[in-house]
Amino acid sequence: MRSGLANAVESVLFVAEKPVSRAELGRVVGATPKQVDTALAELAASYQGTGLRLAHDGDDWQLVTAPEHAQHVAAYLGADRLRVSPASLETLAIVAYRQPVTRAEVEAIRGVNCDQTIYTLMQRRLIEERGRREAPGRPILYGTTWEFLECFGLSSLDELPRALTPEGAVPGTGERDAVTDGSA
Amino acid sequence: MILGPEGPHVTVEGFDGPLDLLLELVEEKKLDVLTVRLGDLADAYLVRVRAMAALPADEVSAFLALASRLVLLKARSLLPSLVPLSELDEGETEDELRARLLEYSIVRERAGALGDRLRSGERGFHREGGTPDLPPRGGEVQALAAAWSKVLALASRAREEGVVAPSERYSVEERTAEIEAIVTERDEVTFTELLSTEPTLGWAVVTFIALLDLYRRGVIDLEQSALFADILIRAKKRP
Repeated sequence: MRSGLANAVESVLFVAEKPVSRAELGRVVGATPKQVDTALAELAASYQGTGLRLAHDGDDWQLVTAPEHAQHVAAYLGADRLRVSPASLETLAIVAYRQPVTRAEVEAIRGVNCDQTIYTLMQRRLIEERGRREAPGRPILYGTTWEFLECFGLSSLDELPRALTPEGAVPGTGERDAVTDGSA
Repeated sequence: MILGPEGPHVTVEGFDGPLDLLLELVEEKKLDVLTVRLGDLADAYLVRVRAMAALPADEVSAFLALASRLVLLKARSLLPSLVPLSELDEGETEDELRARLLEYSIVRERAGALGDRLRSGERGFHREGGTPDLPPRGGEVQALAAAWSKVLALASRAREEGVVAPSERYSVEERTAEIEAIVTERDEVTFTELLSTEPTLGWAVVTFIALLDLYRRGVIDLEQSALFADILIRAKKRP
């Protein structure tokens, strides 16, 4: 049995059309942030093995459908599959793992100009501006968005390292993994 | 990502870059990024860069910069006694370049994993459609019951009158003219007044349609101060 507070939080998240902050959840259900955290953890655990997931980006929370059932929801919504070029995926990977990050930092890692890929990712709302770095020129900082989490079926950024470990990934790089493993 | 034998693959959004090319060479030769002598790749790298003659100069320049670095590393390994010209000229050392290449290889692996995840289509969706449509505030609990009893009263009266005058007919045009006259004369009148105390259903309907028509023509303004309050009908001020 779930606690009354977890149920209250669930009902609010059910009607919410956009992510709800922990503070607001606390205000509307009349609980302290700590109690809300407990309720959210309880809720997340109770969604194991169901069609729903509890996702969060920082302190903002939202109910989303389970990635396993994406094809059914996509069929219902008539949603198209997102396509992203390899170059944009590289930029996205850097932003996802290093956020908040400046364009110059992305370019230093990729070794190429990244204007276009950053523009494309912004257009698709996979990344967004996150203020500016207090450094000469005050460069814009970039981070990932809710759309990013949804498009990649992640419940939160914490799932990023787990979901994208070298082992679980690219077919055809097995050789390289073996070499890396052997030398480690 | 597979590179054809003709050289680096160029995407619409931008080429994959010099580090990408270098990493491809390491992988093609089944070497390890951690141990390969990067200078040894200089020749193979230059062959690929030469094949890029068709590309715009500013795009090739980054490849050339790395090519010159590789040639320097190669020269250094062939002639270990070579003395650095100066701190400034030396630039990126082999270790620094290797570190960059390693970091880039991790990024490429992660990008590949992200791409796989995208292709698998296993994504989440949030609820679409916005906040439920709520009725305007100010409704009273008893309002529905009161409205229902009014309807019942109206219906029973209409039935009685139906018996008395079954052939009674109202014309919307006549009623429209009547209301227009009343509004012009009195400036404002309530819907209840127009219905009079004992309206039949037909009378109420004709009055209502007449009002809608007047409103459509811009003769009157309608105003209701609260939900279920009496409707106020005013002559529209003509500028």
